[in-house]
Amino acid sequence: MKKPSEEKKYMLEMSTKEVEELMAAIRATSKKMTAEYIERMRKADKNRPKAMQYFDEIADFEKREKELLAAKQSGKKVVGYMCLFAPIELILAADAIPVRVNSGWYDASKLGDRVVPVEVCPMVRSTIGAKMIGLSPYLELSDALISGLTCDGMTKLSEILSDYKPIWAMAVPRLKDSAQSLDFWREEMKTLMKQIEALTGNKITRGKLKSAIELTQRATKAFRRLQDLRKGNPVIMGRDAMLVNQTYMWDDIKRWTEKTEALCDELEERARQRNWACPPDTPRVMVTGTPMIWPDNWKVPSIIEEANPQGVLVADELCSSERLLYDPVGVDEWTMDDMLNAIGERYLMASTCPCFTSDDGNKDRINWILNKVKEWKVNGVIYYVVRGCMLYAMEYMRVKKVLDHMSIPVYYLDTEYTREDVGPLKTRVEAFLEMLTARVDI
Amino acid sequence: MEEPPRKEDVEYWRWQEYRRVFAEKKWRNKDVITAGIDVGSVGSKAVIMIDGEVYSWGIMRTGSNSPDSAKKVLSWAMEGTGLRLDDIKYIVGTGYGRVNVPMANKAITEIACHAKGANYIWGPSVRTVLDVGGQDIKAIRCDETGRVVSFLMNDKCAAGTGRGMEVFADLLKIPIEKIGEVSLNVAEEPPPVSCTCVAFAKTEAISLLRKGWSKEKVLAAYTHAMAIRMSNLVKRVGLEREFVITGGQSKNIGIVSRIEKILGVKCLPMPNWRENGLDPMVAGAIGAALFAKALYEKEHKN
Repeated sequence: MKKPSEEKKYMLEMSTKEVEELMAAIRATSKKMTAEYIERMRKADKNRPKAMQYFDEIADFEKREKELLAAKQSGKKVVGYMCLFAPIELILAADAIPVRVNSGWYDASKLGDRVVPVEVCPMVRSTIGAKMIGLSPYLELSDALISGLTCDGMTKLSEILSDYKPIWAMAVPRLKDSAQSLDFWREEMKTLMKQIEALTGNKITRGKLKSAIELTQRATKAFRRLQDLRKGNPVIMGRDAMLVNQTYMWDDIKRWTEKTEALCDELEERARQRNWACPPDTPRVMVTGTPMIWPDNWKVPSIIEEANPQGVLVADELCSSERLLYDPVGVDEWTMDDMLNAIGERYLMASTCPCFTSDDGNKDRINWILNKVKEWKVNGVIYYVVRGCMLYAMEYMRVKKVLDHMSIPVYYLDTEYTREDVGPLKTRVEAFLEMLTARVDI
Repeated sequence: MEEPPRKEDVEYWRWQEYRRVFAEKKWRNKDVITAGIDVGSVGSKAVIMIDGEVYSWGIMRTGSNSPDSAKKVLSWAMEGTGLRLDDIKYIVGTGYGRVNVPMANKAITEIACHAKGANYIWGPSVRTVLDVGGQDIKAIRCDETGRVVSFLMNDKCAAGTGRGMEVFADLLKIPIEKIGEVSLNVAEEPPPVSCTCVAFAKTEAISLLRKGWSKEKVLAAYTHAMAIRMSNLVKRVGLEREFVITGGQSKNIGIVSRIEKILGVKCLPMPNWRENGLDPMVAGAIGAALFAKALYEKEHKN
């Protein structure tokens, strides 16, 4: 008889053959979607930066999958994570490779339906589905998963995935503006540090942690340079910038930084030549809400930038894109204690995840949205929510109120992990963009 | 033995296609002749305007092929007018099939077009428009020029739409044009059916009929539920007077009177559309033809 710990609690009743067939079918669709979306991004900007070539390649998961496999064969460990609360500097300092494992595959969400009800967030269902058939190379190659217990979906997802992988859960305090929260969080980090050291067999030393922090600081610098370039006339389409940001979740960080700097060099040249990615009077849109995960869930940004009239994404407030990298780890003294404190603050205090609350709602996120609207000269905000994403859905009214005060139009766009609603979504987005252009046009 | 025709074969849901031409208006080559084509999920509408005034229009059922439906309905509106396609200076396509209108110079969403059309039909005092289409409903706020200020749309669900009404016409065997009047033919308003989902509402209606409810009462309960759903969308977008209803359901007195009661406002009165061409059912196509005129003039300003 099986020991209870070995028994899978969320198994699908599927034969090996069925699993293989499903995986082959979904992989084929995914390949097709990836190629199609990249082709569409190429078409959207006639003078698309040459440096995008690299990001197109890394967007196809196979390249990175091979590298990770090779790294594992040489004895390295891969640590997956599901929320941005995973302090990746600790992973890097132990000579392991961090990779984010959330799933953007639509078809996989339908498999997740067999284990959890359809009311559950589709990103969570899709991640479950991806695991059931071994679809995600990053999830498969992970030796352990860090799970930030943020929303209900993420919390329970980690229980389900614990059937397959060691899970290192990190409890996130829902109030962050207090000394006890920060103390608590620091303890969570110390526990995680020990877990990482035990898995890798590598001690996280002061020198190694310093190098890791410096590595992500450089990435943040490159990222901020890219974002600053988007404040003026459009030098890059929003989807391209989003893809750059998102590949950070699985790419080699050093290489990603170099490639992003090279892209910025090209974009600066482009700005000098006044060679814009789209007409400068194109309405400037910001998206915020549920994460949008490559490859399938590129639906909404594509609709916005291919709409008639066209819009351009100049900023986003998404944990799958700009929230990844904006905040550097700010260290005063390079002591072990100080570095850990700095990492703790960066991951907890700077986060604008909707799991937080305060006496004035999730005020950090709201202030940050307002700040972005001003600095990136946003004309309209699309508030994107997938059904089942409770936290973002419930925060909408508060966000809308403050945007109303600034006379910034905001539109609530709710959707699912499906390709079937593109028609009505297009009507809604186009009507919103018409509304933004009507302020200047007919 | 030949079977007698079954009662079920009568298509109660099938609404009348119609067209109209103001033959007394004469068009000349120098006139700005424009057209708006609104290809909806259920009905296709075309309006031809001469210098911004309705000249002719037609409404047909949308077939399985959007470009065909667009072509057909435009030819129908042109029939007997002597107009050829070349005479029309600018065409705007709108509605669900707007990108599949082959002869259109430009596509504009039905949301912008309904606001524009309502502004034209009822004048600049219109601030809130409820458009009840075949498969979706939209609540739109606009300014005095007919520009959209904000909007809400339900989608992916036929609840509270023209399609839902068609299903009930069939189920209760009442011709679709009569359905509004019949729904008001009750001594006392029954409570609304508990769910507006067409599939569930149908099941609920059958059980109410078995319970001995009259057709009228069942229809009233369903219409009541639909009116609540539509009113909620209007409340969410923020009701500001004047308020009007466009689209197919603007002619359903059972829906209109119930919405007025729930929201506590009167809609602006139905225009004398047979005489003046200001047909709320084709508000989207009217708006599209007006945009066509504005766009044509903008292009030829220089």
